Amino acid sequence: MPDTLSSVGILEYCGVHKRFGQHTALEDVSLEVVPGEVFGLLGPNGAGKTTLIRIGLDILRADEGTVSLFGAPPSHASLDRTAYLPEERGVYRRAKVRELLAYLGKLKGLRRTTAAKAADHWLERVGLSRVADHRVESLSKGMTQKVQIAACLMTDPELCVLDEPFSGLDPVNVALVTDLIEERRTLGRTTVLSTHMMHQVEALCDRVALVHQGRLVVYGQLDEIRRRYSPNQVIVWTEMDLGALGVNATQHRTGGWRVELPASETAAGYLHELVRHGVLVDRYEPLVARMDEIFVSLVSEGP
Amino acid sequence: MRLKRIAAVARFEFLAVVKRWSYLLATFGLPLFLAAVSGTVLGVQTYFLTQRAEESSAFGLVDEAGVVDGSVFEDREGARVWINEGSEVVLYRDQETATRDLESGRLRALYVVHEDYLQSGEVRAIQSEKTPLLSMRGTTVEPLLRSLLRKSLLDGRLDEDVQKRIISPAVFVRARLGPEGAEVSDFDEALDLLMRTTIPLFLGVLLLTALLSASGYLVQTVATDKESKIVEVLLSSVTPEEILAGKLFGLGAAGLVQFAAWTSMVIFVALSASAALATMVTVPWLALAISPVLFVLGYLFLGSLMLATAALGANAAESQKLTMGWAMLAILPLMVLVILLEDPNGALGQVMTWIPFTSPLTVIIRLSVEPSGVAWWEIGGAIAVLAISTWLSIRIGARLFRVGFLLTGSRPSLAELWRQAR
Repeated sequence: MPDTLSSVGILEYCGVHKRFGQHTALEDVSLEVVPGEVFGLLGPNGAGKTTLIRIGLDILRADEGTVSLFGAPPSHASLDRTAYLPEERGVYRRAKVRELLAYLGKLKGLRRTTAAKAADHWLERVGLSRVADHRVESLSKGMTQKVQIAACLMTDPELCVLDEPFSGLDPVNVALVTDLIEERRTLGRTTVLSTHMMHQVEALCDRVALVHQGRLVVYGQLDEIRRRYSPNQVIVWTEMDLGALGVNATQHRTGGWRVELPASETAAGYLHELVRHGVLVDRYEPLVARMDEIFVSLVSEGP
Repeated sequence: MRLKRIAAVARFEFLAVVKRWSYLLATFGLPLFLAAVSGTVLGVQTYFLTQRAEESSAFGLVDEAGVVDGSVFEDREGARVWINEGSEVVLYRDQETATRDLESGRLRALYVVHEDYLQSGEVRAIQSEKTPLLSMRGTTVEPLLRSLLRKSLLDGRLDEDVQKRIISPAVFVRARLGPEGAEVSDFDEALDLLMRTTIPLFLGVLLLTALLSASGYLVQTVATDKESKIVEVLLSSVTPEEILAGKLFGLGAAGLVQFAAWTSMVIFVALSASAALATMVTVPWLALAISPVLFVLGYLFLGSLMLATAALGANAAESQKLTMGWAMLAILPLMVLVILLEDPNGALGQVMTWIPFTSPLTVIIRLSVEPSGVAWWEIGGAIAVLAISTWLSIRIGARLFRVGFLLTGSRPSLAELWRQAR
């Protein structure tokens, strides 16, 4: 887990505003992505995530505020250290797979031979070596998606922004992409992940930011956010009848007792109390909110 | 701008175009196709005319008025025959025999000098149903008969040399001033006119076609990028200016190859015509030599404007419509071609030489038709104006291209364009 407080942000937004005509796409957004983490960028459709990404990668310019990439305003050199998989997938459909990858590698500054080798290596990594000389238009949607993921990762970028990388993939390939993102974290590489698949966010992300109607509504450590939005409840598995003991408990679908704690009580403190009162606890678990619940709750409330 | 990235884009775009069947066919197939078609058409026509010529070249003449000088006719196989310039005229005593021969196909046509010819001048020309259309007017027999009648009427009444001049009052010997002011004679006027107008026209059309073809590829590639949604991937690696430059150079190279192939064909045709016809055919060497420079500059100028405007379109059809205006401006010299051919160095030609949209084609046409009338400073000036305009159009084009390329999915308003391009 990266140290979010002491590290220098790889990608930093400070007071960013962006308007398109009368529409405000982003309003005073400030956040940072730190080295080595998997950062989740969440939000409903049209929230401003893609605009935020485009501004970070210097594809669009902010109307107000500053952006720094690797500690300085985005430049040719810093952009070469990044890669981007946009949500709107784009490929040259008539190009051959290997040629397309080699071309995209060269656009990132790889030499011709290095780009060709990297293309072959990454096609093998995503299991597409056999279609290297096929035209992209002959591939299935999932295969095309993997070609684009390979194009993103082939330069071993220090920062990789993946917008909905799992869409259109079957479970096997979802696992493959998950492994690739995990591998990047192990190697100390940074990944920004924008997705609506909340279980993937829970499985992969260290920190998240939730954007809604152009504003940042939640930002921080994933675990901390989940705890913050969790009900003050625990589930207790025991042979004893907690109701009979006078505890405010209801049966949970998992077979345990769901206990609503007083606002002043903590889960650890309550466990101590249970044991002190002679309750034989088989298993004990504080209830933690799921990300999809937090997402729905925040988006329904509005910013 | 990073040259290696520009080179990578240029190489990719070049290969993407030149590997297409449509490009290969247009570049190499079209000249071969045109050569094959024109060769076939000429061959068929020549064969047809030869066959016709072999069928019958005899014409009948009946002199009811008794005015025709019979001394030119020789006895041959029981008939009175006059052979002149490949035509055979048979003199008949009566129309009945002549009509029979016409019906049988032995004669192509029958001319009857009417009995009151001296009063009316009537000579009846009769064809049979079998006689091919144009068979009489397509031959030289009627001028020959006119000469024969003149000679017959004048015989013994005037001196011989005066007779000759009445029959043939003037023998024109054509001449014109060559490039060095020397008088050049002994050439076929019709052929010269043909070569002097055809080659400039052909070269001009080729230059324009190559320009518009290369520009068309530019419009197509921008539309493809926008429609295939690859724009964002490209922009996360290279700047819009680098993409614009790469596309301009890559597709320009493809256009140049096409133009070179087509121009080679023009040179080949001109040289072949010159050798085959053994006559003075003016190959516009200066125009040919300068055409690659004009093509490159004209293409960069027009191409950068086309790329920028094409990027503003939401799809291929819209991009095509937006760029049509530039193409119309480039076509302008062809619209006033008659004036340019007639008076290449007149006011219109001189003005259009200095307008960057029209200068490539105008200079080519002027240099082909009348090279001596184009001053060196006009060529240099036209190239300089074109180069400066090209530099400006690339600068402005790159800004518009950036805005248009980024605003995917919809066409930006003028206010948005202005705001973003600043």
